[in-house]
Parts: sequence; C-alpha cells; structure tokens
Amino acid sequence: MKNMIRIGFVIAIFPCLATADGSAIDKVYHPYTQLLEHEFEWRVLSADGKQKHQLAVGKSFSDRLFVEGYLIANDNKDNNFSLEAYEIEAKWQLTEQGEYAVDWGVMVELEKERHEGNWELATVLLMEKEWGRWVGAANLWAIFEWGDTRKDELESSLAVQARYRYSRSLEPALEFYSGQDTRGLGPVLMGDIRVGSGKKLHWETGAIIGLDSKTPDNTWRFLMEYEF
Amino acid sequence: MIKYRVRYYLLILFAIVNVPVLAAPVIEIEIRDHLFYPDEIEIPVNTKVKLLIINQDNTAEEFESYELNREKVIPGGSRGVVFIGPLQAGVYPFFGEFYPKTAQGKVIVK
Repeated sequence: MKNMIRIGFVIAIFPCLATADGSAIDKVYHPYTQLLEHEFEWRVLSADGKQKHQLAVGKSFSDRLFVEGYLIANDNKDNNFSLEAYEIEAKWQLTEQGEYAVDWGVMVELEKERHEGNWELATVLLMEKEWGRWVGAANLWAIFEWGDTRKDELESSLAVQARYRYSRSLEPALEFYSGQDTRGLGPVLMGDIRVGSGKKLHWETGAIIGLDSKTPDNTWRFLMEYEF
Repeated sequence: MIKYRVRYYLLILFAIVNVPVLAAPVIEIEIRDHLFYPDEIEIPVNTKVKLLIINQDNTAEEFESYELNREKVIPGGSRGVVFIGPLQAGVYPFFGEFYPKTAQGKVIVK
C-alpha cells in the first residue's frame, strides 16, 4: 500500500513534459552497473511545447557492462507524435565504487535517425564522488554527428549533478547542463520505490531553467525505470 | 569560452582527486543459507575498508545498503568486493536484496 501511494505521488507530480532537439539537457548518468540487471525505462523531456520521449530496454552482460536500446519519439506542438530515431548505448563501469577517490565509467552511444541517413556517435566520461550524504556526478560528452542532411560536426557537453541522499524514496538534487546551444540549471527530485525482491522503480523529475537566450526558459524532465 | 573553461577545470579537478586507496583493511563476510556470517562487523571511524563477500550459496545475492550507498550482486558460488568508508561513528544496516527477510547485518563504526 505504501508503495502504491509512492507510485501515485510520482505520477501526480509528473508534469506535462519533453526537449528541444540538440539540447544538452537529458539526465545525469552514474558510472555503475550491476550484474543480472534488466531494465525498462521511459524518459520524457519537455520544452517550448515540444516533447521528446525515450523508451528503452536494457540488460547487463557482466558486472561491468550494461547495454540499453532506445526508441526516440518526438511530440511537437501540433500533437504529431512520431518515432524519430533509434539508439544503442553501452556503459562500462571502470572502477569499483569507493575504491578510488572518484568512481569512473565510460559510455558509448550510437544514434540513427529513422527517416534520414543521419548518425550521432557519443562517448561519455562518467565520474562520481561521495562526500557523506552528498554525491557529485559529472558526465563529459564528446559527440560526433554526420549524415545525409547533417554536416560533420564534433560537439562537447557537460552535465553535473549534486545530490543529497535524504532517503531511499526521496533525494533532492541540483543539475547543471552545458552544451553548444544549452546552459541550464535547476532542481531535480528522485528516488527508489521497492516493489519486490530484487525489483524497484527509480524515478526522477525536475525543472531545468535556461541560463542564456538559446536555452528554453524551462525544460521539464521526467524518468521512470523499472529494474528487475 | 567560459563553458569550455568550466569543463576543463572540472576534468582537472576530478583527475587530481582520483588518488588510489592505500591498502584498505580487508574484512571477509560469507553468505550461507541466505544469511551473512558475521552479521555484525566493526570498523574504525574514518577508515576505508574492503569487504570481501563470499557467496557459498548456489543462488545469487545482492549486498545492499542505502546507508552505506552500496549495491553489489554476487552470483552463487563466487565472491565480490565492496569498498565502504570512510564513515562517521554509527550503525549502518545492510541486507541481501534477494533474501531480505533472512540476509541482514550491520556495520558498526566506532
């Protein structure tokens, strides 16, 4: 019953969400993987009346490698919901959590647009550091884009999160995103809801405020993962 | 230009603080019949410790503790390593995610 109330709370605070294409605002990744883990994920970003939905299924292949496949859809102002791209992502945990002063991981993402011959390859350096109940995470992205209607381009972006481990079901955080056309900062709430032995729901929701004229004034983000 | 500097300085900062742990003391914990042995361990304040968890069962178990901020799946018949600390004085419970009713323990930091 308690879990049902928590799930209801998460759904209730889920705003009408989604992203401007090319925005660096997404989520902050952590450099950890778990053996025997499976995951379904739904992620939404909302800004300027446009929404980006990402549906994913993931599986760990070892205690250090997690692979996830995505379907990416956009919902524009005219309610034209359409599947736009596919993506595959592989995350490697490089160091044991707590072994060194900073925990390290690396991630590779390959995305292909559905209708155009456009591609995007990203490598991401994942870092995390614990200070008591505070946890800092940083993702450093290098992204190469190419394709039929896209000129070859190399971009970089940064995502940083400072999270306070208040309780398993509720953790407040502050996130900062910086990229080619993005500079945003805002509060995020997240937590875990245990739904059975070895099963849990992880949720995140937040509002990222644009810090420059190129970034939407508000970008809402929501994420729900079912891990089993 | 400022944003590139921010990224550069952040990377340098993380590289500087990425110093390896010097020979953390090792404590062995066994999982047998979905129980932890010992189920209570004592460690000193502000000391990093390496837990060597040996799963003697045929089934996998997950060492989990929100208080310690650790999760680690250990397949049946194998071993896993979990680093904890440095910690403040207190009691930090842990449990087995797959058999939470029986597999329970605590780390006492003195």
